[in-house]
Amino acid sequence: MNILGQLDGQMNGIRDAIRNCDWDPRVMLTNLSIMEQKIHQLQDLVHIIFGRRTEAMNGSEALAAQQQQLINADLTSIIVQLISTAGSLLPSSKNTFSSGNPFGNGLGQPGGIGYPSGPSGTVNNHVNKVEDHSDQIDLIVNNVEDHDLKDEEEVDEGEHLPPGSYEILQLEKEEILAPHTHFCLICGKGFKRDANLRMHMRGHGDEYKTPAALAKPHKEMSSEPSLVKRYSCPYIGCKRNKDHKKFQPLKTILCVKNHYKRTHCDKSYTCSRCNTKKFSVIADLKTHEKHCGRDKWLCSCGTTFSRKDKLFGHITLFQGHTPAIPLDENKGMVELSDHGEANETPSKVARTDFDFSPAAFLNIMDAKGTADEDTRIFSPLDFDISSLSGFSDFPRPPFEDSDNSLSFLIPSACNYPRGTERNPGSNNLK
Amino acid sequence: MKSSSCLVSLLTDDLLVNILDKLSGDDSATKSFRSVCKAFHQAESAHRTSLKVLRLEFLPTLLNNYTSVDTLDLSDCPRLDDGSIAALLGGDTSIDLSWTRRLRRLVLSRCVGLRWAGLELLLGSCTRLESLDFSSCGGFGDREAAVVSCVVGLKEIEMDRCFGVSDFGLAKIVVGCERLEKLSLRWCDEISDLGIDLLSKKCVFLKHLDISYTKIGGESIRSISTMQRLEVLAMVGCGLLDDVGLHHLQDGCPSLQVIDISRCNNVTSLGLTSVIRGRNNLLQLRAGHYYFELSTIVLNCFMGLNNLQTIRIDGAQVSEHVLQIIAGSCKSLVDIGFSKCKGVTDFGILQLVLGCFRLKILDLTCCDKLTDLAISAIAESCRNLLCLKIESCNMLTEKSFGYLGSCCFLLEELDVTDCSGVNDEGLRHISNCSNLKSLKLGHCINISDKGLSNIASKCSNMIELDLYRCKGVGDEGLAALAMGCKKLKKLNLSYCIQITDEGMQCIGYLKELSELDMRNLSKVTSAGFSYFASGCMKLAELDMKNCDNITDSGFLALSCHSKNLIQINLSYCRISDVGLYKLMGNLTCLQDAKLLNLTNVTMNGFDLALRASCFRLKKVKMLALVRSYISMETLNFLQARGCKIKWD
Repeated sequence: MNILGQLDGQMNGIRDAIRNCDWDPRVMLTNLSIMEQKIHQLQDLVHIIFGRRTEAMNGSEALAAQQQQLINADLTSIIVQLISTAGSLLPSSKNTFSSGNPFGNGLGQPGGIGYPSGPSGTVNNHVNKVEDHSDQIDLIVNNVEDHDLKDEEEVDEGEHLPPGSYEILQLEKEEILAPHTHFCLICGKGFKRDANLRMHMRGHGDEYKTPAALAKPHKEMSSEPSLVKRYSCPYIGCKRNKDHKKFQPLKTILCVKNHYKRTHCDKSYTCSRCNTKKFSVIADLKTHEKHCGRDKWLCSCGTTFSRKDKLFGHITLFQGHTPAIPLDENKGMVELSDHGEANETPSKVARTDFDFSPAAFLNIMDAKGTADEDTRIFSPLDFDISSLSGFSDFPRPPFEDSDNSLSFLIPSACNYPRGTERNPGSNNLK
Repeated sequence: MKSSSCLVSLLTDDLLVNILDKLSGDDSATKSFRSVCKAFHQAESAHRTSLKVLRLEFLPTLLNNYTSVDTLDLSDCPRLDDGSIAALLGGDTSIDLSWTRRLRRLVLSRCVGLRWAGLELLLGSCTRLESLDFSSCGGFGDREAAVVSCVVGLKEIEMDRCFGVSDFGLAKIVVGCERLEKLSLRWCDEISDLGIDLLSKKCVFLKHLDISYTKIGGESIRSISTMQRLEVLAMVGCGLLDDVGLHHLQDGCPSLQVIDISRCNNVTSLGLTSVIRGRNNLLQLRAGHYYFELSTIVLNCFMGLNNLQTIRIDGAQVSEHVLQIIAGSCKSLVDIGFSKCKGVTDFGILQLVLGCFRLKILDLTCCDKLTDLAISAIAESCRNLLCLKIESCNMLTEKSFGYLGSCCFLLEELDVTDCSGVNDEGLRHISNCSNLKSLKLGHCINISDKGLSNIASKCSNMIELDLYRCKGVGDEGLAALAMGCKKLKKLNLSYCIQITDEGMQCIGYLKELSELDMRNLSKVTSAGFSYFASGCMKLAELDMKNCDNITDSGFLALSCHSKNLIQINLSYCRISDVGLYKLMGNLTCLQDAKLLNLTNVTMNGFDLALRASCFRLKKVKMLALVRSYISMETLNFLQARGCKIKWD
């Protein structure tokens, strides 16, 4: 296993070489010899496992599965290297790749290939559930030659990966929303983290207490991704969906989960303090609750700010925006667009006013005043929606706080004309 | 009768308008004009553009008669509140409200009973409003400011002493009223640098900005310096402002013409230099009362100010050299203020007036080194002088007034308070300045009825006369005054202890009198006071503190006649429960009352009097020990209507 780990660096070197030059016999030789080495290592590993299995015939199925998984992952890695090396030999690999997905067809177990990496280790779990979910996972490898260079500019803010230089994974909705991602194969208990699952497994027998069983599985594999992994949102039309014209991939599984929940799910967590703000990610709620009540600076557009100077900066920037005037006497404490409360306050004012004028006048004034006040302070968003479309796909959009504004912005922002014909890359997807 | 009506009919409308232009400002003359005939009445109605009302109930009729009124002043209306506005505008659809669309300027100063609901109703109908004054509305806050911001056409806003308006209210206004050209924020101490910064970015047309007595700092000045069109900048008494802050102004505000940085305690001559350096088109500089020394750097800056018309450096340390430089470089000066400046000498003044012969206003208050020589030089050189203030210049003798009387015929305002040199002979000289409108003779103990008679006989245009503590003045002087100075509006007789009922009776003939100070006139009784009260129908302000021989009968007369009285000081008077109740109940315009140490009034009497007047009162001053005897109901009511109660 350690030897395998040492090879990682060399394998990376191969990948770089493959990517950087088209055909170099010396590089090819090195690659092949490394792969040969790796196959030998794998052979040894299988031998060891075989030996163990004969010693303890009563070993549970779970262990067997785990071992199988180990070997499977190593094989995958080797296959990927082999294909990459072969790919560099071809003048144009277009025909080969467009004819079908060699990974999916060749292996007959497409789910297994996508898993080797996963920064948090969450991905590995899918292997455990391979039988159930393999059909839900698509693995897509983009081809470098298939992409126009101009597309490269539009990939991701911050990182500029060429479109073909990474794999795109797309998890299905159920996968994303599953509360636990690691399940015990014996008792079925779910865990959020694989490490926790391994700890749990110790209770099922001594065989789970061996260092090998407790060790982080496939450490060498996870740090040796054949290609950088990026993720696609399963929501059709979303900018984070691989079919989108201006597709911007998500970096990690966690990003996928948070993005999907924030953007495409109901906001089921309500802040217990203000009873107004709603969140779909519980961590967001917790962050908000820390600051709730302190975000007291409110603009007429509904955006709140934790600092007064930030609010004034916002007002300076946007035409026609004004600060919302606190309706009650407590200065600075702003009632978040709660119309029920807004309606109450004027009548309170009038009551303390000792007005001896005909009551009819006051009623008219109250009604009128309130209506106007509301429309003025809580005016609908009057800025250009299209200008915000660029914002809509930030992991945490700046306007997310005003929950209404975002939810109607997203669909409109994503309704780009989807010219699949004009985008050569999209042909290869799916 | 027939011939006169023919004569009148010869006058064309144009001529009538010309006559009315000449009469403008003189209320009684206009009133006489109006009562000549129907045509005159119509001409006057069409000519009048501004209206100041004392009683809201007459407003609809007045506005329907005066069809050209575009300026409405409601600052003296005692009953203005949300309800009355609703009654005025909302209730009856048959009421003609076309006047609201004519209004361009609205003054709501001191309308403490008004709140956002009424304001919204009022401003909502005045759609063409360009100027709004709601200063001293202590209860106004951000909500009211938000209502104001809906009048998008506003060009001028005065909101002094609106303590409740914060950056938010200001933000509302600057975003809503983008065409704002003039804004006054005096004493709005909730406003901070953030608000000013937003103002500087949103109101690009602003020409006039007054941020006096606010808590703004250097950051505000940095923002203000980016305002290209700003012409007038006043920042009096900004304690947080220092030289570093003012330095931001050095290269900004290219259009600046008027600067006022008086009473900024943390500013030194260094700050002053960065403000005025290189500003050749500066017209006015006011930098009084922070007691700096005029360094050579400042003086070098002065040399560039060729167009300066006004300079006020009250309290500064000046020398003959300084005056020489000012006179040498600022040739267009018309208004100079050296009040309380140390180092102003005869020779300095001599050099100054040689250079600045166009002078119209000269303030030399407390420049006590000046002698007759200086005044003779001023009188010789500055023939156009309109206003001279030489309070406490004790070395002056009657000769000085001789020079003034023989040269300065245009003089309208003279302040010789506490000048021991003023005697009857001096007054005789002064009386040659027959255009005098304001004369202050306080503490001039050497003058008598004789001198006053001279003034009265010649200065018939006198509007304001101050005789504070002129012990020599008695009934005869007042009789002469009543004969000669018929236009007198403002009179101070406090501590002129010789005055008796007879003198008061004479005062009663001054039909125009609106302000009278008569503290401590212990020889005046109810009889004389009643006569005076029945005569001066226009009386608006009365200070009769410590007039301890006037009893209820006098006060009853006052309550019957002085229906226009707005402000009264009754402290230490011998008024009783009944008198106070009648007075406070009957004076339907009374808004400000000082009621300290009324020994004949019971605690219950105060409560009753307050109840009788609580609709109208805006300000009351009473002894603190009275407080516990006044019912909570009354107090709550007064407070809810914005009345300010000061407990002494």
